This record gives sequence, structure tokens and C-alpha cells, in this order.
Amino acid sequence: MREIAAMLVVLSAICGASGWILASLREYAAPLIEEQELVHVKGPALRHAFGAFDNDPVRERRRVALPDGGTLLVFPARKGGRLSAVAFERFGEGYGGPLGVMVGFDLSRDALSGIGITTHRETPGVGSRVTSEGFLVQFQGHPFAKLGLKAAGGDIDAVSGATTSSTAASRAVAEALRLWGGIRPEIEKAFAGEGP
Amino acid sequence: MSGFTQALTRGMWREIPPFRLVLGLCPTLAVTKSADNGLGMGAAVIFVLVLSNFFISLLRKLIPAKVRIACFIVVAATLVVAVELLMQAFAYPLYQTLGIFVPLIVVNCIILGRAEAFAAKNGPLLSIADGLGMGVGFTCSLTVLGALREAFGAGTVFGARVMPEAYQPVAFMVEAPGAFVCLGLLLAAMNALGRDAGQPPAGCRACGACYEAAARREGGA
Repeated sequence: MREIAAMLVVLSAICGASGWILASLREYAAPLIEEQELVHVKGPALRHAFGAFDNDPVRERRRVALPDGGTLLVFPARKGGRLSAVAFERFGEGYGGPLGVMVGFDLSRDALSGIGITTHRETPGVGSRVTSEGFLVQFQGHPFAKLGLKAAGGDIDAVSGATTSSTAASRAVAEALRLWGGIRPEIEKAFAGEGP
Repeated sequence: MSGFTQALTRGMWREIPPFRLVLGLCPTLAVTKSADNGLGMGAAVIFVLVLSNFFISLLRKLIPAKVRIACFIVVAATLVVAVELLMQAFAYPLYQTLGIFVPLIVVNCIILGRAEAFAAKNGPLLSIADGLGMGVGFTCSLTVLGALREAFGAGTVFGARVMPEAYQPVAFMVEAPGAFVCLGLLLAAMNALGRDAGQPPAGCRACGACYEAAARREGGA
């Protein structure tokens, strides 16, 4: 009996201490990790989502209020100080989990500037091919009309053998487009004026 | 102090983990596509191994024998999650390349092997020395293997070109089969060196943990 009690106490104490240490470490590291993700995950996706730009979209990011009460992290692209495009991230349900898509909107006309994939857990070599240039380039400068997979009446070619992942990417774009109509004025107001 | 030096240097050559103990082969084979990755993985293992040896050695008198493995794993898992968080916070590109292999350090046999075979029986100072020695040995092995594969598979070492421009990289070397071939060649070389020094060939019996466990079971029965 004593032995069992000792086992329970020691193991619980070690587990408890470990939980406490990790919780405090996570709290400390969370803002640092967010910063790193912005630079190393969102940064490359933004370069895909925008055409040419000469500012630092990650540093100039802003939170914009959504009509439903939430907020949205928006990244601006500027050319010569003038706001040329903005991008934000939406998710679609992929084969292995949520697929993050950074969707860029061209402000000079009703079209996308492009899209980039941020996070995904698609099957390597199959679903992961939605991150390939060949698929993403179809969205570059694409007008809002017919913006969907061919199977759904649009004119985007799905990655062959990766219908689920392609659909996820296309759903994320559609979701972004749905949001865009309602918040465009809000976003333009937030980034009004010359860049910093 | 000779015990300390011995504990420190044992893992660096005489019992160098992947080549002599043949422990921890999963990361050895999986992440050594380049010298950089090998070094990064090795650094993470040194951190976990030194601290897990230290804490386990401190707790060794408190931990009841029957739940010792569970306790060792909790300590190792805590340290690995800590490494993962710190790596994400300070070395994100390394985290992206090592990916799934960082959490897998928990089940790296070296961690549990050294806890069971050394830290559970020795004082904190000696255990730190043992962890440091084993970790450095592991890191060197991974870096050498990574450098070798990178040199033949991409013509570079640590990203710097070492092969002449005309060299055609052998892509096979940076793929999984290349890891097995390289490891085999290095093991053969280590065995040849060891034979000259009168040591038995590398193998699982080098660590002795299974033999000790078997002996303990027989003694107890």
C-alpha cells in the first residue's frame, strides 16, 4: 500500500511540475513564435499573393474589425508608397486538416493579385502539390468572375489526383471573396495615406 | 576526477552512440540530408540529454523502481516540448526542416538508454558529463554523416561548395537509401578501426541495458 502511494505521489508530482513548467514556457514563447511565423510562413506566402511591391507587408500589418465582431489580420502591399494590394488569410478544410491560403486583392481592379499557401498538412507529393507554382499561378490577376474549380463552373484547373486539397484552396478563396465585399471600405480606410 | 573525465569522453569515441552503441538511428538516418540539419538535431539532443540526465540523477533516489520508466519519459518529454517551443521562438527555419523529428527525440533510445544505464545510478555531476559526452558524440556523428551526404548529394558542405563545378550531384545520397549506405560504410570503417584497437564490433550489446535487465529479472525471480 505504501509503495503504491509513493508511486502515485512521485509520478503525479513530476507530471504536475512538468505541466507547470511547460505552461509558463508556452506563455513566454507565444509572442516570439507568432513573430517568427509571420516572417517565415506568412512572408513567403505574401510574396506569392502579391505581384510586385516594395514595402514590408509583415511589419505594416493591421487588425481590421469584421462586421460579425471578430478581427482580421490584413497585410498591405505598396508600390512607391501607394497602396496597391492587400491580403489576408482564410482556411479551407483539406485532406489532412485546415489549409491556410493567403488571398491577395488587387485594388486597381476587381481581381485577385494572387494567392499563396501558408500552412497545410496535405499528403506530401499528392495534396501538397497545391503549393506548386503551376496551380497558384492560375489565381494571379484572376477577375472575381468564374473564380472556382472547373468542376464547380469556374475556370481553375484542379491539381490532378488532389481534388480535396484543390477544393480546400478554392473554398478558402471563395470565403475571402465573400468577406472582401463587406470589408473593402474598412480596409482601405485602415491603410489610407502614405506608407510609414 | 578521472571518473568525471571518463564519463565525459566515453560517449565521444569509445561508445559513440550511432556508430558504437548503434542507438538513435531514426534521427541519424532521417535528418542528415545536410551537415546543417545534423548539427541542429545534435544540438537539440545535447540539450535534452544533458538536462534529462541531470534531473533524473537528482530524482533517482525519489523515483520508485516500478514507475521509473514512466518518470524518465515524463522528464524527457517535458524537455523535448521545451526544445520545440524554444526552437520555434528562436530558430524557426531549423524547426521547419527538422519538423516531426524534434518531438521524436522523446523516443530516441539514447535519452532513455542513458537515463536507465547511467543517470539512475550516478550523481548529478557525473550524469551531466555523461550526457554532454554522449550528446557531443551523437552531434559529431550526425554532422559527419550529414556533411558526407551533402558533399556527394549536393556538392556542398554547410552550404559552401566543396566539389568542382563540373561535379554532377548524386541525388541518391540525399534520399533515404543514401542514408543507409553512408551509415553502413561509416559503421564498417568504425569497426575496422575498432578491430585494430582490439574492440568488439559495434552492435546492440554495446549498451548492455538489455543484459542488465535480463540479469535483474533472473536475479529477482
